[in-house]
Amino acid sequence: MTHTKNDSLNKKISQFFWRSWAIQDSWNYERQMNMGFLYGIVPTLDRCYPDESDPVQLERKKEAYRRHMAFYNCTPQTSAFVLGLASSMEEELAETPDAFDPATINAIKTSLMGPLSGIGDSFFQGTIRVIAFGLGVSLAQQGSIMGPVLAMIISIIPSVLVTWFGAKLGYQGGREYLEKMQSGDLMDRVMYICGVVGLMAIGGMVATLIGATTPLTFSGGSVVIQSILDTILPQMIPLALTGAMYVLIKRNVGSGLLLALSIFGGIALSAFGILV
Amino acid sequence: MSMFVNALLVGLVSVFCMLDSRLLGRLNFEQPLVGATLVGIVLGDPMTGLAVGAATEMVSMGLVQVGAAVPADMVLGGIIASAFACLTGASAETAMTIAVPVAVLGQLLGIVFRSVIAVLTHIADREIEEGDFRTAYSMHIVVGTILYSLMYFIPTFLAVYVGTDLVQSVVDLIPEWLSAGLNVSTKLLTAYGLALLISLSLKKGMAAFLFLGFLLASYLGLSVIAVSALGVVLAVVLMDLKFGKGGAALATADPDYDPLEDDE
Repeated sequence: MTHTKNDSLNKKISQFFWRSWAIQDSWNYERQMNMGFLYGIVPTLDRCYPDESDPVQLERKKEAYRRHMAFYNCTPQTSAFVLGLASSMEEELAETPDAFDPATINAIKTSLMGPLSGIGDSFFQGTIRVIAFGLGVSLAQQGSIMGPVLAMIISIIPSVLVTWFGAKLGYQGGREYLEKMQSGDLMDRVMYICGVVGLMAIGGMVATLIGATTPLTFSGGSVVIQSILDTILPQMIPLALTGAMYVLIKRNVGSGLLLALSIFGGIALSAFGILV
Repeated sequence: MSMFVNALLVGLVSVFCMLDSRLLGRLNFEQPLVGATLVGIVLGDPMTGLAVGAATEMVSMGLVQVGAAVPADMVLGGIIASAFACLTGASAETAMTIAVPVAVLGQLLGIVFRSVIAVLTHIADREIEEGDFRTAYSMHIVVGTILYSLMYFIPTFLAVYVGTDLVQSVVDLIPEWLSAGLNVSTKLLTAYGLALLISLSLKKGMAAFLFLGFLLASYLGLSVIAVSALGVVLAVVLMDLKFGKGGAALATADPDYDPLEDDE
């Protein structure tokens, strides 16, 4: 008895797992991942309302489908948690349609979207991807095929773990667990570690990945500017370039303009013999 | 191999990379380093693919896709640049002169495409009213997959099949000063990308960690992975200072955990 119950639980979790990965499949500007979320929750809804010949069930099913066509956008991996949680709420609604307000389901989805994409994007895009590909590029530059391979291994493992356990936590005890996280300071601690490691990795990348130097010399080549700079602070030019770009971004200079500035500025600086 | 087969193979690699973020939750197959290397492998020149991949990846390192923003599509740029380097024998630096304009074109294409594809949502809305649930969610999993695949397959296939000679002759015309200049441009683009990443992740009072990472790498010559590993250690130590000791309670996520209890 318990055995079959576990089987069906694992089947549900694996549905949340694969379907949250497919959440961007029809990404659009209007409602973003709305249909992706609907696709994720379809098995739950079809289980809750199996009999389409019953007009009451059919109407409830249509209403549930409509509900999950609303705007949604969140990191795919952390979406598995939301999907599991929303599914457990849909099941509760189907069992006790009069005691449960359907509006809470979308309210929970909307309130989780922001914090979970904040954590998800800074973890996967800001930390994991940066470390994986920072390492991957440095190996690839030495001509090692292990560069992309290692980058993929580092990318895939956390992704699988977060999606699987997120789906499980969300479905099994979502609301209760979330209260725990918010009442303690677990969330703050996780964000803090991600922040420190991410920033240090970016700092390391500024020093290792840009590699711009100056060929300027004075007094007929006896004073080499680059070696003077190197004795003060190696990689000073990449640091200055990144700092200048950062200031421009903070002053809301548009991305198109900065892209053009990089391309034409690079050609100009090279032509005048200032940078190599 | 005929150019048709080459174009087909590169097209399929591009579809695989695109579907990574559509169907696999963005596992990072959709990265220039991976896409360009895969192109090198299918065209029989993995080392060239790897070199182009490393060069394009550095440019795209900081271009994070957050929310609705579509960055310059360096994956498409890297794939097409890698194909040209492998097929024409051009160097990775020369291939970069193709990657950047292709990436900007890919970005424009992505913006137009993601606006138009909103039509599918309206079709699904209507099908739900009709009670045809299967058609409604097929708009996502079937039609969405096909359209996103075509959005990548058609440009890559055409670029390789029709454009090799054309692009080759354009590349031959590129003067020395321009390719040297574009080489500096890619460094500025990398700086821009990293600055974007900093502007997204830098929080108040955290700038010291950014400089610490930089100084460890510049003065001591540590690699990025060494800097990250030190970062984890440092963060764990500092976390205890900042939030109080709570390692054991943290592991079990005890709901009754009270950080003040330690101050006996």
